[in-house]
Amino acid sequence: MHTLTQRKLLGRLVAAALFAAGSQAALAQDAQPIRIGVVTPLSGTYAPIGAQVKMGLDLALAEINQGGGIMGRKVELLYEDEEANPQVAVQKAEKLFQQSKVDFLTGTVNSGATLAVGQVAERNDKLISTTVSFSDAITGDKCSPNVFRVNAKAGQQSVALAAWLAKEKPGSSLFLLGPDYEMGRSTVAAFKAAAQQRGVKPVGELFAPLDSKDYSSYFGQIRAAKPQVFYTSTAGNDTVRLFSQMAEYGMNKNVTMVGVSGAITAQNIKAIGKNAEGFVTGVGYSPEIDTPENKQFVEKFQKANKVLPDLYGADSYGVLYFYKAAVEKAQSTDTAKVRKAMEGLQWDTPQGRKTMRAADHQAIQDMYVVKIQDGEFSIVSKVDGKDAIDASVCKRW
Amino acid sequence: MNALLETLQFVYAPQVVNGLSLGVAVILMALGLTIIFGLLDVINMAHGEFYALGAYLGMSLLGIGVGFWTALVLVPLIMLPIGYLTERALIQRVFHHKDRHILTLLLTFGMAIVLEDLFKLAFGPNPLRPDTPIAGATELFGMIFPTYRLFLMGVGVVIVAAVWWVVYRTRLGAMVRAAAYDRHMTASLGVPVLRVYAGTFAFGVALAGLAGVLLAPVYSVFPTMGKDFILMAFSVVIVGGLGSIKGAIIAGLLLTQVQALSSLYISPVWSDPLVFGIMVLVLMFRPQGLFGRLGHG
Amino acid sequence: MADYIAVQAAPGPRSRLRPGLAAVFVALALAGGLAGWLTGNVFYLRLATEALIFGGLAMAVDLLLGIAGLLSLGQALFFGFGAYLAGLLLRDAGLSFWPTLALVALAGAVLGAVAGLIAIRARGVYFALITFGLAQIAAKAVYNVQALGASDGLMGVPVVAVGLGPWSVPASDPLGFFLVVLAIVMIMYGLLSYLLNTPFGRNMQALRANAQRLSFLGFDPWRYKLAAFVAAAVLAAVAGALYPVLRGFASPELLYFQTSGNAVITVVLGGVGTLIGSLYGSVILFGLKSVIGTYTEHHLIVIGLLFMIAVIFFPAGLVGALRRRK
Repeated sequence: MHTLTQRKLLGRLVAAALFAAGSQAALAQDAQPIRIGVVTPLSGTYAPIGAQVKMGLDLALAEINQGGGIMGRKVELLYEDEEANPQVAVQKAEKLFQQSKVDFLTGTVNSGATLAVGQVAERNDKLISTTVSFSDAITGDKCSPNVFRVNAKAGQQSVALAAWLAKEKPGSSLFLLGPDYEMGRSTVAAFKAAAQQRGVKPVGELFAPLDSKDYSSYFGQIRAAKPQVFYTSTAGNDTVRLFSQMAEYGMNKNVTMVGVSGAITAQNIKAIGKNAEGFVTGVGYSPEIDTPENKQFVEKFQKANKVLPDLYGADSYGVLYFYKAAVEKAQSTDTAKVRKAMEGLQWDTPQGRKTMRAADHQAIQDMYVVKIQDGEFSIVSKVDGKDAIDASVCKRW
Repeated sequence: MNALLETLQFVYAPQVVNGLSLGVAVILMALGLTIIFGLLDVINMAHGEFYALGAYLGMSLLGIGVGFWTALVLVPLIMLPIGYLTERALIQRVFHHKDRHILTLLLTFGMAIVLEDLFKLAFGPNPLRPDTPIAGATELFGMIFPTYRLFLMGVGVVIVAAVWWVVYRTRLGAMVRAAAYDRHMTASLGVPVLRVYAGTFAFGVALAGLAGVLLAPVYSVFPTMGKDFILMAFSVVIVGGLGSIKGAIIAGLLLTQVQALSSLYISPVWSDPLVFGIMVLVLMFRPQGLFGRLGHG
Repeated sequence: MADYIAVQAAPGPRSRLRPGLAAVFVALALAGGLAGWLTGNVFYLRLATEALIFGGLAMAVDLLLGIAGLLSLGQALFFGFGAYLAGLLLRDAGLSFWPTLALVALAGAVLGAVAGLIAIRARGVYFALITFGLAQIAAKAVYNVQALGASDGLMGVPVVAVGLGPWSVPASDPLGFFLVVLAIVMIMYGLLSYLLNTPFGRNMQALRANAQRLSFLGFDPWRYKLAAFVAAAVLAAVAGALYPVLRGFASPELLYFQTSGNAVITVVLGGVGTLIGSLYGSVILFGLKSVIGTYTEHHLIVIGLLFMIAVIFFPAGLVGALRRRK
């Protein structure tokens, strides 16, 4: 009797153990996390942008995982430092795709890195999305079937700004200045076209070398053109020098200063100081957007990080929800299925509902015009999503 | 005739003046470089970083409440012992090697890398900028120039004159020139040659630091600023003649004017390469530059 | 006749090439490659391939510095030239691997001769500054030319297959391409070693010791300097050509001073004048950056300090230091 009970007990124990092991294995299969790679500058000049990207992603990650993850699977983020160098970005992207076997990748900041990583993604048959790069080429003539963009591109910013300008200062004279490289030239061209279409009159344009020390050599030309509006697509230090030197020479009196969104950011606004007052630009996001969703987002973001979110933080927060919506629609993480789900997808973000255009993988969204008042950006106008974007020029598929 | 005058006044004159204010920066840097090479036979690849160090020191002083003018005096004084120690501790070690030229070049190149990253570490990657100490603009001959820039040009002339006077008209300067010409003879005459070397290096980098503070309100302060003028400064030193103060001044004025005026005719992107091109040509056909060397035969 | 005298006058120990260390390197590389392949560690294999490519560039700098006594601060000019030319040939002209390499080598030689004629006129520090200036001008030019992709670089270089007789190794095959690059770099090393052991090569080595004495013996140093310059240009260009094959693009950063500077650091850390030291140095530098990079973003401070220590205490570099112990 002892032996029988023992044997039965043993048998049941074994069965229980096997069952536990078996279901553990089965659970383990289902519970395999979704891994998302993030290649973003964590060091170097663009580190502050990378920091916002990380903050946005981490916040979304916490929320999504708390809500049960994506299709019941937990989400993991794997970070690598891009150092704002396409060579390094490519190395790290490869590492994430091949070693860490990530399902999706995001975080690239500068446009060269996004394009280069996009190529790596094609070679590895995976999808990526940028949340920062705004060069039009990424969803334009250099578009890729594996690259998506959830943030607004330069073209959208230009259209929004031009629309505001045409309303506020109709028919005014405009002078444009940009750094002499591809991005500088294309942003100037885009804004010039958008402004001209709306009745603003370009009276001159200039391209200064990147990292120019002294813009005063151009002031004679600018003054001769007598512009009422001055547009710049310089960034970082170049803007600091341009604005302080213009102030030195009294060039910014009675002139409306506008420019690309990257011209004045949290990184250089302190150095520009009071010379930044009155600067106007077009952006895809502002923490001041007055919707309950955004207010909630800003509150959560501030609580977690003690700083306000900027457009990079907000768009990076949004990209995880974009991916989640796509995977849930496709009911799979397979690249081809997710790509199909992403094309035409609509999803909710702190800045409202965005639509991912199938033709070029560019997100369509409402745009805002913001102005620096008392050292901070405030919203002065809004442009509807469909009015803020031009037709697709991507021809690869 | 009227059109010509107008062109002169509104097109050329501003360019010339801009070239001059750029020239002050470049000449101050080039002076330090050429003195260090002329007297020590050392190519200081880290010279730009000392320029940056001066600017950062200035910003730090301003940050603790010191006034701009006080900072302007303090910074070169602080840079002197820094430069002295650098020379004694680092450069002297490779000085007696037979491959000295290349070794000092490599060593200072390494110093530049470390210094630039140190600035990023200590002060962050974002630009900083002190408020312009003399605000406002003055009108000269119908053209408007920021008063601070005019001040800069004046100060530049004063500093260059002072350097010249020290090197050529004082006993200290004579010792230094003698040490450069023949160190053994000079040493046997009782001059502490090693200290003279270190002191000269200190003087050269103090000049660079002074330039850093002076120009901070105009060009702002950021970790890679050491690379801003160093290329121009090297070109000036080469064209003027390694070791020649006269050469540094004349070539400095010449090259900055070439750069400023050339931007009227060719795309400004090519102004820098144009200056390099001139440097390369001089190196090919007249390597000793316009005025040859300071202390050497 | 006169060449023969030079041979006898230059005994073995004068040459710092160490064939033994070269064999060790190949063995270590093969072992590493095999380990990487067995563990499926593709990332490190590709990184090692990149280290070899930049090692080739460093070898070119070493050829000039350690052998001919000329410090080049702009060798990235030829590296970037090779990269862009290869990118264009592979992407737009549809050429395959070996013809591309051959054309790059040829073009590199021509460019090297032209640049050499400009640079050779100067000595020592002036030579360094000329090479620096030339690279800066080229970098600026490439950055501004739309046809070359401007600031974004040349994208879209296709994955080509390296034909080896009956076999074909696609560039995307991590182990296969690693071995191909290793072979190419070692072949170039071998060719250089051979060249340096010929009478012509021995005279080239005499440039570093005492160029003046060379001319007293009746040889024109100018010929040897130019030969060294052209050889270094070809070496750097071919190394550069391998980059877009590995990564699929070429960017202006390849021509920047940082690339030239890294090559110089590699040479000093590895061992000036040993040629193989550059390959060791490149692996060390890549490894250091990887390791230090995981702890702090300021890896340049550490590398810069190591470099300075090397310059002060080990002017002969790591390999040279090993040699001195014997």
